[in-house]
Amino acid sequence: MTASYAFDADIVRKYDIPGPRYTSYPPAPQFSGEFTEQTLRDHIRRSNAEPIPRRLSLYLHIPYCFSPCFYCGCNRVITRDRTKGRHYMERLVREIEAVGALFDRDREVVQLHMGGGTPNFLRPDELQEILESIDSHFRVSLSDTRDFSIEIDPRFIDPADIAAYAHLGFNRASLGVQDFDPEVQRAVNRVQSVEQTLAVIDACRLRRFRSVNVDLIYGLPMQTLAGFERTLDIVLKVRPDRLAIYSYAHLPELFKAQRQIDPSTLPTPETKLELLSLAIERLSAAGYEYIGMDHFALPEDPLALAQANGTLHRNFMGYTTHADCDLVGLGVSAIGHIGDCYSQNARDLPTWEASLDCGRLPVWRGLELDFDDLLRSELIEQLMCFGRIDIASLERRYEIDFQSYFAGELQQLQPLIDDGLAIADNRTICATSRGRLLLRIIAMCFDRYLHSAPPGVSRYSRAI
Amino acid sequence: MSAPRGRMPPRPYTDDGDELHFCTTCAFSSACLSSGYDKAHLRELHVLVEHVGPYKEGEHIFREGDPFNVIAAVRSGTVKTYVIDNEGREQVLGFFLPGEVIGLSAISHAKYPCNAVALESVLLCRFSFPNIAALATRMPGLQQRLFTLLSEDINKAALLAGNFTADERMAAFLVSLSRRYAARGLSARRFMVAMTRTDIANYLRLASETVSRVFRRFQDDGLLRVDRRDIELLNPEKLEELAKNVLRE
Repeated sequence: MTASYAFDADIVRKYDIPGPRYTSYPPAPQFSGEFTEQTLRDHIRRSNAEPIPRRLSLYLHIPYCFSPCFYCGCNRVITRDRTKGRHYMERLVREIEAVGALFDRDREVVQLHMGGGTPNFLRPDELQEILESIDSHFRVSLSDTRDFSIEIDPRFIDPADIAAYAHLGFNRASLGVQDFDPEVQRAVNRVQSVEQTLAVIDACRLRRFRSVNVDLIYGLPMQTLAGFERTLDIVLKVRPDRLAIYSYAHLPELFKAQRQIDPSTLPTPETKLELLSLAIERLSAAGYEYIGMDHFALPEDPLALAQANGTLHRNFMGYTTHADCDLVGLGVSAIGHIGDCYSQNARDLPTWEASLDCGRLPVWRGLELDFDDLLRSELIEQLMCFGRIDIASLERRYEIDFQSYFAGELQQLQPLIDDGLAIADNRTICATSRGRLLLRIIAMCFDRYLHSAPPGVSRYSRAI
Repeated sequence: MSAPRGRMPPRPYTDDGDELHFCTTCAFSSACLSSGYDKAHLRELHVLVEHVGPYKEGEHIFREGDPFNVIAAVRSGTVKTYVIDNEGREQVLGFFLPGEVIGLSAISHAKYPCNAVALESVLLCRFSFPNIAALATRMPGLQQRLFTLLSEDINKAALLAGNFTADERMAAFLVSLSRRYAARGLSARRFMVAMTRTDIANYLRLASETVSRVFRRFQDDGLLRVDRRDIELLNPEKLEELAKNVLRE
């Protein structure tokens, strides 16, 4: 089932409203400090006790960056002092030991993702110590379907290090590019040449990485259609297996780095729409499938195949082919999803470090999902992955009558149906090709927490 | 903390009895009714039928060596009985579902010979054993019912003693759960397993990993669907077939 996608400027303009990205439901702002280390331990124990305990997916957060990109809203720490990396690695290894001990040994790690920050802030030998620790405290799958991925900042890596990464087991890479236009690069404080970027991609291919993902961003300061088109030309020529086209959300009240950006240099909403339209047109012409939200993939890529055969999933790391995994978040600010709970580690380094130093798990906050949360999270995941809600499967699995359970939500959905974003019958609710780019708007109709959000500064970026 | 409720709506507690009516899961209602007694009569006979609980997950209902004076019917939830052997290892004796009676194995002793622990939130209906035994002498149906419960309890423990394969043991376990739920008017095809896989493994005398492997294989073969603790039997006939050696049918 490969859905088409169509760009309709009027519709996109009308529905350009802030909303969650639904890498989790309920979204992280709902997490609560009442969720403690003990709650997490209880959920892990319960997850071990299931008839078929789920396999594991590990996310490791490396918070350091050498230099601040002004658009960034991630949790990161800027430093040039590489010794900080070693100290961080040593504590991360302690967290791996402590958390690994809680999981039964027959639970295989089939997916590992290292994100940041900049994972390549750490030297290959430091990454090696982390992976060796994982190997001794978890059971790591030896299957060739396992996914070990790492985010790479091409500005700070010797392409020769890619061989070391491959040796450590990494088989997927994700590279930040954003835009090759030098004007844009200066405006966001991220000057990165085409040559160094392509050298890293070449090295990944030489080392037989199974896929290379490239991130682009539209809506950046100084961005023009002509400049972005040149970026797309260069990127499409190397045909990355996956592409993410993120929208830049200017929220300087929330993200300090963004205060460095002169708002007068930001493209107008009209230009931003044209940038998105251009990207979609070019990717579509180049044969990329639209996976959902900001993600595109070549038709033969496992993500596109998983979407076609109904096994695609979505979690904090984005889209994934690994179903039924408990997600273990390690490192400062990392989020996990184990059993029916979400948990997040301390967001600041001193607290994260202090917890580990006194032998505690660095849990900051989390959420235990109740029946309604589970139902809605599955519904929203279906929507995000396949652009459709399978009413019959939800009714069977949750023993509900969909039409009456979601009577209010279906009323909210009606204007979207009238605008041609979705079609609904008794069995499915389906995003149309126009609605495919606005999945989160459809999902928002089913978000119970959205209506109870406190007024004031929006926590969420706009849809486009 | 609240127990995660999983992907099925919270089960209604089978706590639907009142002063004048039996709960639908009551272990004794049919015996009493067939003898011409209803709950109002039982009250008059000063048989204390005491609703107790909820016991929280992990909470003990009785421990080995406690003086025996009551038996209890499970109204809601799952109870595990176990003993600790001389090497300090736990040996799971059995699981008790709604409508089933715990404490029967104590009848010949003055003390409970095992521990009973709630695996999830558990509600019980407690009977004074001397009183119910006295009542049974005047109520042949009730006496019959007690004998049946006793012999079931003895047989249950003996079933798994044979030389059976892991598949046979697991199939027998699932078929037994299915039949017991069905007997109380609950779904025979879809139910939650409250017991941990370690408990199941211990009870079936298998390794935990084996329990999961067999569940996974049964699922791959289309015999059942496992969604967390929610089990749906897709091919009960095949499971019955696999279970028949263990269940002596």
